[in-house]
Amino acid sequence: MGNIAFLPIGLEVALLVGAIGVLMVAVTMGRSSRDWAVVAGAAIGVGFVISVRQWVVVGESGTQLAFGTKGADGLAVANQMVAMDKFGALGGMILMVVVGLALIGSWQMVKDLGSRGAEFVALILLSAAGMHMMIVSANLIMLFIGLETASIALYVIAGFLRNRRGSDESAMKYFLMGSFASALFIYGVALVFAATGSTSLYGSTSIGQFLAGNAMPNPGILLIGIGLILVGLAFKMSAAPFHQWAPDVYQGAGTGAVAFMSTGVKVAAVAAMVRVLYIGFFQFYDDWSMAVALIAALSILVGTATAIAQSDLKRMLAYSGVAHAGFLLIAVLAARVSLDAMWFYLATYAVSLVGMLTVVTVVAGASAGPVSIESFRGLGKRSPMLAAAIAVFMFSMAGIPGTSGFVAKLVVFTAADLSGFRWLVVLALVASVAGLFFYLRIIVVAFFEDSDTEETPLTLTGPRIAIGFAVAVTVGLGLWPTLLLDFAREALPHL
Amino acid sequence: MTLADYLPIGLMMLIGIGFATGAMWVSWKIAPNVPSPEKLAPYECGIVPLQEPALRFPVKFYLVAMLFVIFDVELIFLFAWAVRFEAFGWTGIAAIGIFVALLVETLFYVWKRGALDWNVAHRDRYRRVVAEYEDEAA
Repeated sequence: MGNIAFLPIGLEVALLVGAIGVLMVAVTMGRSSRDWAVVAGAAIGVGFVISVRQWVVVGESGTQLAFGTKGADGLAVANQMVAMDKFGALGGMILMVVVGLALIGSWQMVKDLGSRGAEFVALILLSAAGMHMMIVSANLIMLFIGLETASIALYVIAGFLRNRRGSDESAMKYFLMGSFASALFIYGVALVFAATGSTSLYGSTSIGQFLAGNAMPNPGILLIGIGLILVGLAFKMSAAPFHQWAPDVYQGAGTGAVAFMSTGVKVAAVAAMVRVLYIGFFQFYDDWSMAVALIAALSILVGTATAIAQSDLKRMLAYSGVAHAGFLLIAVLAARVSLDAMWFYLATYAVSLVGMLTVVTVVAGASAGPVSIESFRGLGKRSPMLAAAIAVFMFSMAGIPGTSGFVAKLVVFTAADLSGFRWLVVLALVASVAGLFFYLRIIVVAFFEDSDTEETPLTLTGPRIAIGFAVAVTVGLGLWPTLLLDFAREALPHL
Repeated sequence: MTLADYLPIGLMMLIGIGFATGAMWVSWKIAPNVPSPEKLAPYECGIVPLQEPALRFPVKFYLVAMLFVIFDVELIFLFAWAVRFEAFGWTGIAAIGIFVALLVETLFYVWKRGALDWNVAHRDRYRRVVAEYEDEAA
């Protein structure tokens, strides 16, 4: 046992133990959701502490590859499947915050589910473990396993409210299209292996080493492989034209589940894409950067144009998520210049979106399917605090100065301009202005339209904490962005 | 890569599509088509079915089948480890122990949730759950 390095996979272990713990507690001792909350909260807390510990250890003794056997000198020598670096550590911290917020905000849905609530919590923890594995994996096969762990849990989570037809439909669509995307991804890995003889991102037998040592006059198979890997990851982050599942899945699944599945998987897929493209295929930057740029441009255009026409809030957020996937892909391109832009955008967008969806759970119910924008009418009179929170989140997503969303767009566009994608930046700026329309519409509906009911939405302690935290982060990072930017600047992957 | 390099792929696709549609078209054209009641029956041999084989079986079979597959796969992994277990040492035992423990935990959970419960009392509960489910759906 002495020769396994546990710290690099500590977060996954913590979440797995937490998931098992929740299930075991549910069938033996405590049948109340309070007991599950303690176990799940402990697992997420331990996961966060382990991420911080990884950050500190990497700062002291440098990055390392692990999850293999250690040699006599105490360093990993073989089967390096996992990289321990500040990249993965920061990803872990962001993921833990997002999972924690999503669970706190949607705990009412766990209660509504009764005895099946424990399974819901366990699946979310397992899915988060898979997402973090995507970020830290140092091998394409490991990345695929993480992707599948995250996705299969998400398919079930999407269909958890099985007595509602929309939820079944949502799970079925997500499953069929998601497994198709996974198949494309693994086919891409196979083609890359055929072209380079490796699936490893690091080490002496890695893809990068092969490409550096061998000139490829006919890289057709490799390029198709890179393209298919790109498609698989773009599907997970719902970038156009692989986004068709997102609106239906978000609308059908319970709002409490959407808060997690819309943010966590985006964090994981974007971070994994950066690691794979830059570490694995940097020699082919000119080839894949154009593909990423085109997907980004298409996502921004399609997402913005379609979001304007939506009357359902969750569909609107799904299409706005497509547009944000486009902005995140610009951040992937900008990662050549600076990585802090990508991390800042990921963290702030995820927190704002979780906060916004928590507001939706409060107003429309945690287990609700479709949520009409009309249900927010007169919220400014009925519950001024909630309406103010909506305003903050919507301003942030639109990129109004004073919120974190503005800084995020600023740093991403600046970095993208420096890496030579000025046309993309211009397009993104125009789309951001158009995006104001549908973000501001929610605020207009909430503040300037009268509602038929005088009913005040009941805010429980959990959602109140989640929304309060999200507002604090959104405004705080908007005013003092260096708090995260300085931190994120160091979050580089193992080279 | 110029566009001309993709010409062989395009040709291959055309040949493939042409072959598939051509074969179907030829067999549709040259095959004699003389239908008779016997030929249109589900099976040309055996006894004509008198009634639909409408066998209803409890959905629990899925759970049992799923558990079977899980433990079947477990055995494959155990076998791979067992033939070389000396070489892996205590690390191997620990690793396979974690693996088995995870599956035992699964079994324990589904057992506690009543997936392996076959008795009558449970069947009544099952019916009640189904009735509730249908009420909610209505």
